[in-house]
Amino acid sequence: MPTPYLQMTGVRKRYGGVTALAGADFAAEAGTVHAVLGPNGSGKSTLLKVLTGVVEPDAGEVRLEGRPLRPRGPRDTLEAGISAVYQELSLVEDFTVVDNLVLGVEPRRWGLRDRAQARRIALPWLERFADAFGGRVPADERVLGLDPGERQVVEICKALVRDPRVLVLDEATASLRRRQVEVLFDVVEELREAGVLVLFITHRLAEIRAVCDRATIMRGGTDVTTVTVGELPEQELVELMVGEMAAVGAAPSTAREQVRLEVRDLSGPRVREASFQVRAGEIVGVGGLQGQGQGSLLATLFGAERRHSGTVLVDGREVRPRSPKQAVRSGLAYVPGNRGTQGLALGRPILENMALPSLARRALLGVGLSRRREVEAARSAAGRMATKYGSLDDPVATLSGGNQQKVVVGKWFATEPRVVLMDDPAKGIDVRAKAELFGVVRDLAASGVAVLVSSSDDRELVEVCDRVLVMFEGRVVDDVHGERLTEETLVAAAMRVTGTEVGS
Amino acid sequence: MSAPAPTAAPPPATRRVSRALLATRMPSAATAALLVVAVTASALMQHNFFTPYGLTSNFATILPVATIAVAQTIVVLAGGIDLSIGTIVTLSSVVAVQLMDGDPGRVPLALAAGLATGAACGLLNGLVVAVLRLQPIVATFASSYVFGGLALLVLPTPGGTVPAEITGGYRQVIALLLPVPAVLLLVLWLAWRLLRAHRIGQYLYAVGGNAGASYASAVPVARVRVFSYTAGGTVAALAGIALLANSGSGDPFIGNELTLGSIAALVIGGTRLSGGAGGAGGAILGAIVLTLIQNLVFFAGVPTNARELVNGAIIIVAIALAGLLTARGGTSDGGRGRS
Ligand SMILES: Nc1ncnc2c1ncn2[C@@H]1O[C@H](COP(=O)(O)OP(=O)(O)OP(=O)(O)O)[C@@H](O)[C@H]1O
Ligand SMILES: [Mg+2]
Repeated sequence: MPTPYLQMTGVRKRYGGVTALAGADFAAEAGTVHAVLGPNGSGKSTLLKVLTGVVEPDAGEVRLEGRPLRPRGPRDTLEAGISAVYQELSLVEDFTVVDNLVLGVEPRRWGLRDRAQARRIALPWLERFADAFGGRVPADERVLGLDPGERQVVEICKALVRDPRVLVLDEATASLRRRQVEVLFDVVEELREAGVLVLFITHRLAEIRAVCDRATIMRGGTDVTTVTVGELPEQELVELMVGEMAAVGAAPSTAREQVRLEVRDLSGPRVREASFQVRAGEIVGVGGLQGQGQGSLLATLFGAERRHSGTVLVDGREVRPRSPKQAVRSGLAYVPGNRGTQGLALGRPILENMALPSLARRALLGVGLSRRREVEAARSAAGRMATKYGSLDDPVATLSGGNQQKVVVGKWFATEPRVVLMDDPAKGIDVRAKAELFGVVRDLAASGVAVLVSSSDDRELVEVCDRVLVMFEGRVVDDVHGERLTEETLVAAAMRVTGTEVGS
Repeated sequence: MSAPAPTAAPPPATRRVSRALLATRMPSAATAALLVVAVTASALMQHNFFTPYGLTSNFATILPVATIAVAQTIVVLAGGIDLSIGTIVTLSSVVAVQLMDGDPGRVPLALAAGLATGAACGLLNGLVVAVLRLQPIVATFASSYVFGGLALLVLPTPGGTVPAEITGGYRQVIALLLPVPAVLLLVLWLAWRLLRAHRIGQYLYAVGGNAGASYASAVPVARVRVFSYTAGGTVAALAGIALLANSGSGDPFIGNELTLGSIAALVIGGTRLSGGAGGAGGAILGAIVLTLIQNLVFFAGVPTNARELVNGAIIIVAIALAGLLTARGGTSDGGRGRS
């Protein structure tokens, strides 16, 4: 057999007591899209970071086109033609989009940065993804003001600008909605035609089936097997990914008569005159095209973004939170869409992150803050979604992406909220944990909580929600429920208003 | 393979507040307002403020402060801080003054030696911080004693003479109203713009803004850090030479207490203390504001040895003000790459 284009053998990496990679082998061919699959914390990101030179392995070898690659850092692998979209977004927030796209590869003229040339190489990619930014091309906007989906597209463009021979996409689609994923897949097809090797990490089954040729399944830091995607039924693929799993049937709605959350004419920076109600025990989804104000709607309700006008009632009482603290006190809980900057204190221990939102409540009840109780509460919250961690005292930043997300979500359960607002909560968590997460959400609803959840994955919305509000340019333009609640109607509802043809 | 400095060693909870303060920035409008107030007040208090003489003497004191503020800005933008910067000023100036010793013919050699001294000090700081991974505050605080001590060995007591050509030239006025120090200040700013237009200038901001992202984007993070300290040291040496030209003789303590002022000036000028946002243009304006305020305080009869107190108070007020203004205006004014 000829030597593969890319070959990694016996790669090991330990972080203190945690084994991230326990002798993983990996091989892939040029001109293919190769998926790397597995549960959260199985070492996917670490493996690909070894390839890009961000992580130095304890042992193991990487060969590209038969030649050993011994990078001293990302500079060397960039030279070898490897570029990556990392799971934990790697943008400089104060820089403009263009400056981020060319960071590290700035074109030069007479020894100085050539900004005109930078725009020339950056703009075509941004234009191609213009839909993701609501039709604009934010070349000169600073990344600080972009939402998670938009940032992810910037990351993708940044990797593409580098003209890679090996492109690593580590959950690059986690915050993307269907239309943008399709644009990305078009690009991926072109790259495949051009002989580029695309390495693709995702937890979304539909995407694996749509673009991937081969798939390597990882578990516990080693590769379990490598399969050809087209030859495998979906159920088997799921089992390979996360082990056997009970099928989740649609649960009956637990919605009651009583209106828990009422929103009238709410306007904010990116929300326009939104009006709707959520009843106790009801799970309401927020869908639509990329970046139509879904995240803003939730943030504005919670008081994380400024409200311009409108009324919000919880159980008939008006609430107008000016700070997260006030919002929590009026019974709201919020899972923000951007875990890195809003959801977590990355450098602080896991235990502390778990305890933060509920601290005030428990201290208020006069329960002394005994460490044992804290640990117990954190353990059970973590256990509910099978969060993989070394010790509760480790900083959150050391967790794998999906496990960080579980902390973001899990920490709110202890606050006993009446209304839960979740911005794309299942982003980056594996199939099994996702089922568990939504199981927990259903339990919450059954206990009378009103849930408002946005998701970049239409399939999720259909499976979990009683009703879905479709947003367009900051307005709620449709309310899809009952028989109509299918992926197809959601797509149609999201686009009908634009006047463009209805996609499949 | 050198990964970027890990975010390990989490700070105690009490330091979270100071973290947040370090992340604030003075909005440009506030800097401009302070400048207008300071200039107006100075013009009212000093009746000769807008005469050639008044401008020359003001710019003659502003230039060294502005230069050292620019030096500190280069370091701070890249995410560091240099507490030894005042002693670098001192050491390079005493080396230069010992070598020139009143002889105009030896000035080029003396200047070169002064600049080389500053660059070497900066390089040392940079290597200690970027390669040995010591905390910048600790490392440069320690090195300030080394540089200060060396300065005392080179020139134990105040003395040495600067050739009259230099001191005279420094106070000249071109085209009736343009003092030489003001022209030099302009040159300094142009040099900064040049650096800013170069890759390395951009990398200062990138590393200070997000070192991890920069590393993953193939920015040579360690080299940029070393560069920032070396460039800062070199510019600090320029400040030392400006001080010599202004005072006419050497002094083994001449720059030591300017460190605090350099930080005050850059905060007033809108540079974020945690790095990644701001610029040398702001630092120059900040230095002008700071110097004018110090002059005003002096005119108001407060003794000069209260200067440190004034500097300290100004830093606290400026940071508090920046924090207040940032909180009010949302984070959106946060980091426009002002320079
Ligand atoms: N910097 C680090 N310090 C300590 N532990 C780490 C670090 N990076 C990763 N780990 C650990 O290594 C293991 C593998 O992590 P990795 O990020 O590769 O998982 P993953 O397969 O990408 O998971 P996910 O699907 O959640 O992104 C995890 O248990 C994680 O906690
Ligand atoms: Mg990962």
